[in-house]
Amino acid sequence: MAKAYDYLFKLLLIGDSGVGKTCVLLRFCDSAFSTTFISTIGIDFKIRTIELDGRKIKLQIWDTAGQERFKTITTAYYRGAMGIMLVYDITSEKSFDNIKNWIRNIQEHASAEVERMLIGNKCDMLDKRQVTREKGENLANEYGIKFMETSAKGNINVDEAFFSLAKDIKAKIDKRAAIDPLGKPAVIKPKLDPHNKKVSTSFWSRCSLF
Amino acid sequence: MNLSMFQQFFNVLKRVKSIYQDCKLLLRTNQQTIGLEIMEQMALHQESAYERLYRWLQSECRLLTTESPEISTLIGEALDGLKERQVLFKYILDEYGTARRNALVRGFIDALTRGGPGGTPRPIELSSHDPLRYVGDMLAWTHQSTASEKEYAEILLRKLKDWNELQKTIQTLLGYITEGLCRPLRVRLEQVLVSQHEPVTLYKLTNLLKFYETTIKQLLPIECQLVLVLDEVSNLSSKMFLNALNATATRLIEKVDIPTNDLNLSDELRRTLALLRDILETHSTSMIPFESKRVDFQQIVYSIIDPLLQMCSLSATKLGVIEMAVYLVNCISAIRTTLAVFAFTDEKIDMLEGQIEANTDTLIGEQATYILLRTDLLDAYRIVEKQQQESNTNVTALALKPGMDTVTLKAAMVKFDLYLASPDLYIMPQLKYLTSAVIREKIKKRSVELICAAYASLYSAIMDPKNNYANPYSIMPHTPEQIVKLLS
Repeated sequence: MAKAYDYLFKLLLIGDSGVGKTCVLLRFCDSAFSTTFISTIGIDFKIRTIELDGRKIKLQIWDTAGQERFKTITTAYYRGAMGIMLVYDITSEKSFDNIKNWIRNIQEHASAEVERMLIGNKCDMLDKRQVTREKGENLANEYGIKFMETSAKGNINVDEAFFSLAKDIKAKIDKRAAIDPLGKPAVIKPKLDPHNKKVSTSFWSRCSLF
Repeated sequence: MNLSMFQQFFNVLKRVKSIYQDCKLLLRTNQQTIGLEIMEQMALHQESAYERLYRWLQSECRLLTTESPEISTLIGEALDGLKERQVLFKYILDEYGTARRNALVRGFIDALTRGGPGGTPRPIELSSHDPLRYVGDMLAWTHQSTASEKEYAEILLRKLKDWNELQKTIQTLLGYITEGLCRPLRVRLEQVLVSQHEPVTLYKLTNLLKFYETTIKQLLPIECQLVLVLDEVSNLSSKMFLNALNATATRLIEKVDIPTNDLNLSDELRRTLALLRDILETHSTSMIPFESKRVDFQQIVYSIIDPLLQMCSLSATKLGVIEMAVYLVNCISAIRTTLAVFAFTDEKIDMLEGQIEANTDTLIGEQATYILLRTDLLDAYRIVEKQQQESNTNVTALALKPGMDTVTLKAAMVKFDLYLASPDLYIMPQLKYLTSAVIREKIKKRSVELICAAYASLYSAIMDPKNNYANPYSIMPHTPEQIVKLLS
């Protein structure tokens, strides 16, 4: 049966204010980039459907405000997330140091199953770099998560990051479905089995008009 | 059921419609009877097809009860095919709406009581002791779910050609689906509100509710039940916050303390200012629109600052003029300092500064009078002032007036010289209770200016020949300019 999408994944972007979360999202969903900094008010979301291993995956990506004053609001959105991107700015040591606090937030508010990924944004600004690639990789290894450096401005690794995170979520879901075929997680969109008696085909089996 | 079978069905339906249309031509010929018979037959087949299509869609929609429903493209195609039968089309939308509504309510209750798989994230109810997190989690869940429901509705109805009609149908559908959340959500939100009596928490909740009302409003039709509930609850929260503020204000006015000996702020006043600071901090960091912030601020000011000022005035009534002025300057300065760091406060700060200025002027005058009194020049100065106000005709020479003789004036000038040597010893004792060093300095500086002006006035009167002083320079050896230099 043809479907609009096979999976719906809810992703979340978190990190300090000004690291480029909104720009990364804008680049991924609208193929655009803006140099104007407008602080996100609370929360916003965008949607993009991608294809992975011949399956259509709808990504509902929630963009959070990084400022402390929005913490009450943004942490409430961790609960529904299946994948979280932790974004820091490679030109800001402070934003990198704060990743540990963001990880702590995830542990406190998100599902234990949530996939995580570390993103070092603004990698086009090499002359202003404060955080080495190695430091980013080490932190990612410490938490057992994937790491990528991106640039929303230069369109470097943005698609790759989202595709990689989506792939990991899909792998986890497929694995769970294989172990427990009866347990049907809300996000799985299994292909309908024609032998499955539950599928309502009675009308279609006698759909002749005469 | 597969795609080819689906297409076959619609091809046949299309053919039936075509035959029906073609038969209309027969009605214009002498083959009317056969034309009508075929049309009747085709109409029956058509209705039978729509009925079957409706039944299939109905059974499919009833299966869409998982958190993420599986809406196949065939459902969209079938729904588009049913569009010609508006009544059946509407019934299917109702069926879909009911299925999603039930799924949404069940999902909400699960999120509240069961949490995620394996217990993470934890059930929302577990944070019911923390009102902000509890309300925030419920509303964030509602927001995310509403966004997802909008997605599903768009998938279901994506075949609708007319964009305006599509949006209208989606909005109506979303309004109906989310209506199921109204009761469980309202009950819990109101429960949280009625258990709160602390103004700061109530204000934070009000801002949180207003933020979500604005955010969720962007996804739903403005007249839908969920938006109305959020609007009502945020209004209730706002009302409760203002009631809590008014209760605080009433307590202030009922419990007027006599100021302490050090003329400093009472504990009640300090507590209220701390409360005001917390509220204004919440106000300045809140996410509500700019205009709402301005209105909010005016309400807060009206509810707290005006009663505070009233309380200060009432508690100062039993004090002397100087003590009252010092106490009021201390109180109003503290209020001004609290407001200074926040937005929208300019107008109120101007008003407070006017009051500080008025009380400071009182203290400047009193300080100057105090110096003149201690140097025995007050009476002399008043006599000179009085003389200057009288008309020049029949004016008695100053030297002849009681208390203005050379001996008395010389004795006073000895005391004045002592003042010039140590002006700091001539500061009113009450001024040390002023909490603002800046205001204290201002009073000292401006009172010195008044003393210099008073000295200049005395000097010119004594030097005036018509006042009959034989040797005026022996009485006042220093010129006003020298006095200004000595005191600056």
